[in-house]
Amino acid sequence: MSAGRAGVVARSLVRTFARGAESVPALAGADLVLTGGEVVAIAGPSGSGKSTLLAVLCGWDTADSGTLTCTGSLAGRRPAELTWAELALVPQSLGLVAELSLADNVLLPARLTGDLPAAERRGHELLADLGLTSVAGRYPHQTSLGEQQRAAVARALVADPAVLLADEPTAHQDREHADALLELIGAQARRGSAVLLATHDEQAWRRADRVLRMRDGRIDEGRIDEGRIPDGAPA
Amino acid sequence: MRLWRLAPWRRAPWLVLGSPVTVLAVVVATAVLACALASAPLLLSSARSAALQEQLAPQCAEAARPATSVTLRFPPGTSPEVLAAEADAPRQIWTDLGREPERTLLVLASIGAAGNPQGGLPVRDARGTLLTLPANLLWRPDATEHVEVVASAGAQGVWLPASYAAAAEATVGESISVAGVAVPVAGVYTDLFDTGGGPYWCAYGELYLNAASADVPPPALLLATDEATLTAISSRAGLLVVTEAVPTRTADLTVEVARGLVAEQQRAARAVPEGKATTLLGAGENEQLDAAVERAELVEAGLRGPVVAVAAAAAVLALVLVAASGGFWADRRSAEVRLLAARGAGPGALAGKAALELLAPALVGAAVGWLAARLLVGGLGPADDLDPAAVAAAAAFGAAAFLAGLLAAAVVAGLRAHATVERPLGTAPGRLAAVPWELALVVAAGACWLLLESRDAIVVTGGVAQVNGLLVAFPVLAIAGAALLAARLGTRLLPRLRRRAARLRPPVFLAVNRLAAGPGAAAALLVAVTVPVAVLGYTATLTAGSQTTLAAKVGVQIGADRALISIPQVTPTTATDAVGTVLDRYDGSVVDDAGTATDVQVLAVDPATFAGTAFWDGSFADVPLEELVAALREPAEDGRIPVVAAGLPRGDVELRLGTLPVAAEVAGTARVLPGRRTAEPVVLVAADRLPEVPSAAGSDRQSELWTNGPEGPAVEALTDAGGRLGRSLEPADVLTTADFLGISWTFGYLSALAVFVGLVAAAGLLLHLESRSRSRVAGYVMARRLGLSRRAHLTSLVVELGAVAVAGLGLGALLAAGAVAAVHRRLDVDLLRPPTPLLDVPWPAIGLTVAGALLVAVLAARYAQAAADRADPVSVLREAA
Repeated sequence: MSAGRAGVVARSLVRTFARGAESVPALAGADLVLTGGEVVAIAGPSGSGKSTLLAVLCGWDTADSGTLTCTGSLAGRRPAELTWAELALVPQSLGLVAELSLADNVLLPARLTGDLPAAERRGHELLADLGLTSVAGRYPHQTSLGEQQRAAVARALVADPAVLLADEPTAHQDREHADALLELIGAQARRGSAVLLATHDEQAWRRADRVLRMRDGRIDEGRIDEGRIPDGAPA
Repeated sequence: MRLWRLAPWRRAPWLVLGSPVTVLAVVVATAVLACALASAPLLLSSARSAALQEQLAPQCAEAARPATSVTLRFPPGTSPEVLAAEADAPRQIWTDLGREPERTLLVLASIGAAGNPQGGLPVRDARGTLLTLPANLLWRPDATEHVEVVASAGAQGVWLPASYAAAAEATVGESISVAGVAVPVAGVYTDLFDTGGGPYWCAYGELYLNAASADVPPPALLLATDEATLTAISSRAGLLVVTEAVPTRTADLTVEVARGLVAEQQRAARAVPEGKATTLLGAGENEQLDAAVERAELVEAGLRGPVVAVAAAAAVLALVLVAASGGFWADRRSAEVRLLAARGAGPGALAGKAALELLAPALVGAAVGWLAARLLVGGLGPADDLDPAAVAAAAAFGAAAFLAGLLAAAVVAGLRAHATVERPLGTAPGRLAAVPWELALVVAAGACWLLLESRDAIVVTGGVAQVNGLLVAFPVLAIAGAALLAARLGTRLLPRLRRRAARLRPPVFLAVNRLAAGPGAAAALLVAVTVPVAVLGYTATLTAGSQTTLAAKVGVQIGADRALISIPQVTPTTATDAVGTVLDRYDGSVVDDAGTATDVQVLAVDPATFAGTAFWDGSFADVPLEELVAALREPAEDGRIPVVAAGLPRGDVELRLGTLPVAAEVAGTARVLPGRRTAEPVVLVAADRLPEVPSAAGSDRQSELWTNGPEGPAVEALTDAGGRLGRSLEPADVLTTADFLGISWTFGYLSALAVFVGLVAAAGLLLHLESRSRSRVAGYVMARRLGLSRRAHLTSLVVELGAVAVAGLGLGALLAAGAVAAVHRRLDVDLLRPPTPLLDVPWPAIGLTVAGALLVAVLAARYAQAAADRADPVSVLREAA
């Protein structure tokens, strides 16, 4: 991989939630290295900490302990500071703006950064690739959950992000659309992006460069390979 | 508490506590409904009380006192003890009724030698000489303590007014004869017409003022120091008037209480027995109280129609809000009700569940609404004195609001909960939604307008002005219908606007898209701003206009704030110029070419001071009064002096003041001129250019000093200028303010409704924002991640809500202007007096409304932003799609 490619390195992440008097460890020392150009899939049962890991990685949540470092072209930056073009996200709830059409949702990142004219072509290509052209003008609530999910993925890809985090991106897709999605995500990785998928989809596992297993807040398999630690990451 | 162990009907009321927003929504909505319903009987009662109190306030205290006044006749020489015993009968009747009356004894006549009553009592001085002027004799508790003492012996006897004592050459301690009874002069007091009397003597003016005649003075008023002295004299006079009046507080008097007092005085009058030694000539009552009660009820009757109509409209509106809160409950409990519906629970069962859960908030809301109505009417209504029956009726309305509100909320909650499960995604609106049913409101408004065309807008019954209910129904229906139509048309334009917004800055783009995505909500918000703004603009303008018109009618009639009328001619002095302007009023006529004479009022004015003092409104003429008055200074052409006239055309006129011809030319005209007191045209002429009008000419003349200042200095200036105050003409002499209260209150209540609708709109806006908060917050969290700044998001909210507010304000102002233009000419409270209705736009109130609407929009935007700021992104990330 190129030393300039963006990535994320997480070491010994711990995140505990209080549920009444009880403490629930969502992350219990999770380690992860995510580098540009690869697709990493994380599998694991519900409640194993996948979504919490994504929340910490994207900067929406903060670990109680451990370190989280951006690498490569993002070195020295904190996840919460990153722009959509640097770190894009497909959350489990999709997060589409209800008052915007699917097309406007997809193009919203470009509109907010003033890059709309340049992004319009890419956006419409993504809509076409994901079979959304016919419903592009509809509001999210006027479309199926699968269409909304594909729009959320298109919105993540439109900015050509350096890091892409996706929580169950194929959960509401039929096989055909799931494959199309995974193909686009794979293509994004091939363009140098670091992609992390939290998924139960075996097809996604097969297409991933690495598959990590998460259980009880730890990543059991695919522990950090010292030889693959990117430049700039702490040892 | 372990809720799951409780039976469903016991558990349900606790479940709603888990959603404080739902509790708040139901409490507020039910409170608004209860307030709308309960305020009607309270306002009517408040108006009744205020109308009664405002009538009684300027009158003497005795006007409010239930009283029995009996006139007894008996043979002169009747024993004073027997007479006193029979005079006690009315007091005993009142005592039996549980009242403590105050007695007045009066002897106004005596039986002459021929057995006929003669006015006044014959009085002989200490030398036995019969005085020319007879006397009346009065006893009231502490009467001698309410006069200005000239001399007093502190003994029993009678007090003489100073002028009478001088005529009788009587001094304190001497004995005089009154109706043949020797009685000592116990004191001398300054004549009451010199001191004014004060409140104590207010109701007895006719005993010492000579208001009716300039030639015959009333009998002198002698004051007995005690009942025994008066009874002794009256026993020889043969006549006695005994009045028993129950002191009553007028400041907090209600109609119900006053009606009870009137009934009591009728019972008391009927119960007065025939005496054994006396003949009962008559038993009178205080008719002023009865008249005031009837007038107050007349004012209330005039208010009832508009108030009931307005309250009903407000209640319907509030019921919609309550129903919406039921829908809000269904949204908040969507997960549970979906499960229940999936397991077979029908709309009825779900409505029952909603009713059980919403029972307590609805009850609290109804109580709060009733209390709010009570406090609002008490604090802002015409008077805080409410009849107990009205308070009870308001409580009953509050209970009805609770039941109706709970039913509406439960039904809507049940239907919505069930529909949430049944309705497929993206269901198109039904055909009913496409029907422009708001046209029915416009048609109804048109029908009201047609009916109004053939009726009086202001009906004057018994001197009391009442607003025709159509004057309320027409604008409310027209404004509501037009606002709804405009909102419907506006929503049609939203998609086009949305396309145009695609190239605009992100905050505007987001704002327009939010409006376009919820056209129903946008339309509702637009209507919610438009209707209160339009109704407020309409009512505030008509209220201000009617008050300005009333003030103008009074100003035109008097000429200024006050006119002091003098019989002797007044010559203007520096002092009179300083307080106002002096003029002479002549009865004159204008003779046309055919020799037909038209009566006119000629005002010979001082051009230097007239314009500065006279009442004027810009609508009276096309030019200012100063310019009109300046025309009086123009040089005479062909010997014709220039005059300014209202009711005469420009050109030469042959003016006559009695038999004195005056060649004049109408150099300026006005539609209305100040000082118009009859239907005749008014002619202004410079006093110094008018030839001397000899009394032989036969033209009635009176001198007047018009002033806008206090009476005291003006009277002094008038007297110093050679005049003598005949009477002072003031606003109260022209119009009885209480007669026009109904107009102010009707529009005031409508204004209150508009404010109420505004509050409903604000509450609805918060509910709307709250109901959208989940999707809005999720979108906001993601949009922040996508690059949207907090400032840009807040700007988009301000643009979204501000645009609706501005559109609503503009549309509301337009509709208000249309409604005012349609009816304000009809709002003439007194057709006989000029001017015709004046338009007075209350800019401060309108400015306040605009500021209020914009402030609500900005605060709501900040509220929505604050809710978004509180969002936890992690929960958004985790939340199931």
